Amino acid sequence: MATVIGKARVEEPAAAPVKAPRRKHAGIQSHYPFWFYLPAGVVYAVLFLVPTFIAFYFSLTRWGLFSQEFIGLDNFRQFFNEPGLLQGLKNSLIYGVITSALKVVLGLLLAVLLTSQIIARGWLRSVIFFPVLVSTIGVGITFTILMNPQQGLINKTLEVFGIHGPGWLTNPSLAIYSVALVDVWKGVGLATVIYIAGIVSIPRDYFEAAEMDGATAFERFRHIILPLARPATVTVIILSLIGGLRSFDLIWAMTGGGPGFSSDVIASVIYKQYQAGFYGLSTAGNVILFFAVTLIVLPIFWALNRKQVDM
Amino acid sequence: MNKAGSRASRYWLGGAALVVTAVVFVVPFIFILFMAIKDRKQSSLLDFSLPTSNNLISNIVEVIKSRDYMLVTAFINSTILTVASVAGMVVLGAMVAFVRQRRYSRWNRLVDLLVLSGLIIPPAVVPTIWVLQKLGIFRTLPGLILIEIAFGLSFTILLFQAFISTIPKELDEAAILDGAGPFRLFFRVIFPLLKSVVVTVIVVQSVFVFNDFVNPLYFLPGDDNATVQLTLFNFKSQFTTEWNLLFTDILLITVPMLVLFIFFNRKIVEGMTAGAVKG
Amino acid sequence: MAGVTFDAATRVYPGSDTPAVADLDLQIEDGEFLVLVGPSGCGKSTSLRMLAGLEAVDDGRILVGDRDVTHVSPKDRDIAMVFQNYALYPHMSVGDNMGFALRISGVGTDEIARRVAEAAKILDLEPYLDRRPKSLSGGQRQRVAMGRAIVRRPRVFLMDEPLSNLDAKLRVQTRTEIAALQRRLGVTTVYVTHDQVEAMTMGDRVAVLKDGVLQQAGTPRELYDRPVNAFVAGFIGSPAMNLLEFGAEDGGVRFGGATVPVERSVLAAHPRLLLGVRPEDLEVGDRGLPVEVDVVEELGADAYVYGHAVLDGGPANVVARVRGRSLPAKGALLRVAPRPGSTHLFAVGDGARLG
Repeated sequence: MATVIGKARVEEPAAAPVKAPRRKHAGIQSHYPFWFYLPAGVVYAVLFLVPTFIAFYFSLTRWGLFSQEFIGLDNFRQFFNEPGLLQGLKNSLIYGVITSALKVVLGLLLAVLLTSQIIARGWLRSVIFFPVLVSTIGVGITFTILMNPQQGLINKTLEVFGIHGPGWLTNPSLAIYSVALVDVWKGVGLATVIYIAGIVSIPRDYFEAAEMDGATAFERFRHIILPLARPATVTVIILSLIGGLRSFDLIWAMTGGGPGFSSDVIASVIYKQYQAGFYGLSTAGNVILFFAVTLIVLPIFWALNRKQVDM
Repeated sequence: MNKAGSRASRYWLGGAALVVTAVVFVVPFIFILFMAIKDRKQSSLLDFSLPTSNNLISNIVEVIKSRDYMLVTAFINSTILTVASVAGMVVLGAMVAFVRQRRYSRWNRLVDLLVLSGLIIPPAVVPTIWVLQKLGIFRTLPGLILIEIAFGLSFTILLFQAFISTIPKELDEAAILDGAGPFRLFFRVIFPLLKSVVVTVIVVQSVFVFNDFVNPLYFLPGDDNATVQLTLFNFKSQFTTEWNLLFTDILLITVPMLVLFIFFNRKIVEGMTAGAVKG
Repeated sequence: MAGVTFDAATRVYPGSDTPAVADLDLQIEDGEFLVLVGPSGCGKSTSLRMLAGLEAVDDGRILVGDRDVTHVSPKDRDIAMVFQNYALYPHMSVGDNMGFALRISGVGTDEIARRVAEAAKILDLEPYLDRRPKSLSGGQRQRVAMGRAIVRRPRVFLMDEPLSNLDAKLRVQTRTEIAALQRRLGVTTVYVTHDQVEAMTMGDRVAVLKDGVLQQAGTPRELYDRPVNAFVAGFIGSPAMNLLEFGAEDGGVRFGGATVPVERSVLAAHPRLLLGVRPEDLEVGDRGLPVEVDVVEELGADAYVYGHAVLDGGPANVVARVRGRSLPAKGALLRVAPRPGSTHLFAVGDGARLG
């Protein structure tokens, strides 16, 4: 998806400055009227652009139920000084990195497996993809039970092998990782189908040529699939990073940010401060999330897309 | 490696993959089903076990009845929300994608930037509520519909744009020579050709909107007009001892997605992976 | 009906320095079939699209009849166009495709049906009116595209390589059909192609373009017999005219053992010359330029001999047509000389015709 944009840009070197003189009849351009942008533009501007911009101002105010005053950067100072809030930022980063890394690795492996000649291929693809379509809250509740330290299926199973399972969601240093694993469970299907689409689109000639050259299965993976599925990797990384950094519902359904603040992420901090009536602080969280996402995703987007153009 | 050997290893690899996948991806759904069948007492054990008695029907009836038929209201609300916002996305998104793809202009880069922003930037919660309040549509279904449209437009535009680029421009030109104005060109000639991608957009965005939890939580709070995802959350605090009912609710709101998936599997996968391949 | 006039029409694409079409002056008579021909990128399609109104005119004027249409929107120019890929509306039936323009302009349903039926009859499309374009063969689709243009009864037909998506046999057949149809309807037609055979067989007149500049416009016979420059000479005719560079000598150029006489004034101004001679104008004999045979292409009645000769400027390829019975073998040495009066002379630098 993200690569669609990259492509559009490559396709149009004509984005050079226009110097054609303006005339009464400019070809057929008038048949593509700009007012077609209007309805979408209004909805988008009013409900997305305007709030995004005023967020910068709101984040500089103390704003409760009854009053609003300008306090400069105090909200941000508070954010970075209170361990409970700072933990949210850290957790968001951990969560984003872990989920996207695991989705890339597992998605690619599953895709390679599911494009080879194995039995029940179609069925497996469907089964892996289906969780993508299921309610996140539903998944969260289900796994909360499955991860229950005493009765949960996961620890019961581990017990069979003589392992004493941890308190997945009750151990403060483990909770965020456990939720991330569930996120991967739910989302790896999308990564897999993106990779499958990428692998399927590689021309068969390459594989046949490699076979003629006597390449082993691993060499085919290393030298053909891996480099040529690069656009898919870009998409998976960017999609999972965007999703992971702003993730809220799964964490909220499973731990509510707990125990304590141990599994809070920025998005849950935003919600908690909003509920508590600290609107300015909540919006400061939004601004921080904005910077976190753009500063991490945009450079990756540009770096990966540029290399891809060179290829 | 000889042929027989490779076939055997394939067989074992497939078998192993089948078993592992089944365990990892199917067991949670079986668990949901089992919990929804169990009675209250057995479900409170939280373990993975065969139900001792079949209570599925009575559980469903009880879930539907609870809180004054909240789930029924929620299904109606979610349906209206999904249909209206997806319809809005399709029409508005296709119009933007059409002009963006066909017309060469200095605005193209700005449009691209805005589309990209809509994909990446997380919406700011409190300021959005503030705007909704100023417009008098906070806590209303129309307000939430517009929100879903605003947030879903970017992805919709990308899907449409990629598709429109495959329609030969000569078709536009033929229509223009035939005397079609912008409106007729779009709605009579181009839009009918978008049928297959429209189906994709509808299915994919329906999944997103129907499963959306965060936006209803913020912009449509309150039990009166809950959406299905919020019922889960509300029930979770209410049914702390009635796990069977909570899981019946999960089961009920998963069924529409399962139906959608069975009928539109290919379209969904196609839409969600669009553009990833060809780059 | 009306003629068409390009009056110094120019098109410069945004972001480009050189014009795609530069100062095009061309007068097309009422009812005439004019073919625009040239290699790809020569500006022939752009010229056609300027006339259609699909491309802006940056300078100059375009007239249909006496009316200046330079700034008129495409639909008001009273023209119809047949596209290379036909551009049929996939979601409409064949009948609806042909009637779409009429419906837009508010013509009554009965009248639309009558005119569509009429066009369908001319084009043998009657059994297919309710079908979708997708279910038709390439040739049928091509005819639907023609029908869509005919139904509108425009003052000018525009055709942009309408045959290039057909297979070779069908192309030849359709070529004659289109030419016959145009003569029957008598509608002014501008036809774009890159295929010079198509241009020569179909057009009342042919206009050759290169790099956005009109080289020559004239009847096929004029272009063949008196090309104004080396480019037109080489472009028109297949196999192409032999263009051989010689140094001028006393009284003419020495073609091996033979001498081709050249006017004294021309010789004085041009120490070196391009001598053009068509393959069928080369005669095999005892005197003349020695040519070593590389390939012989047999066509039955006669054959083309492809070989190479050594000139003072270096080796050059030579093609000659010979009778089909006694063919030279590969590697044989022939002596060829032009039939008297059949040669063309061009300047070496700009290729302009001399004399």
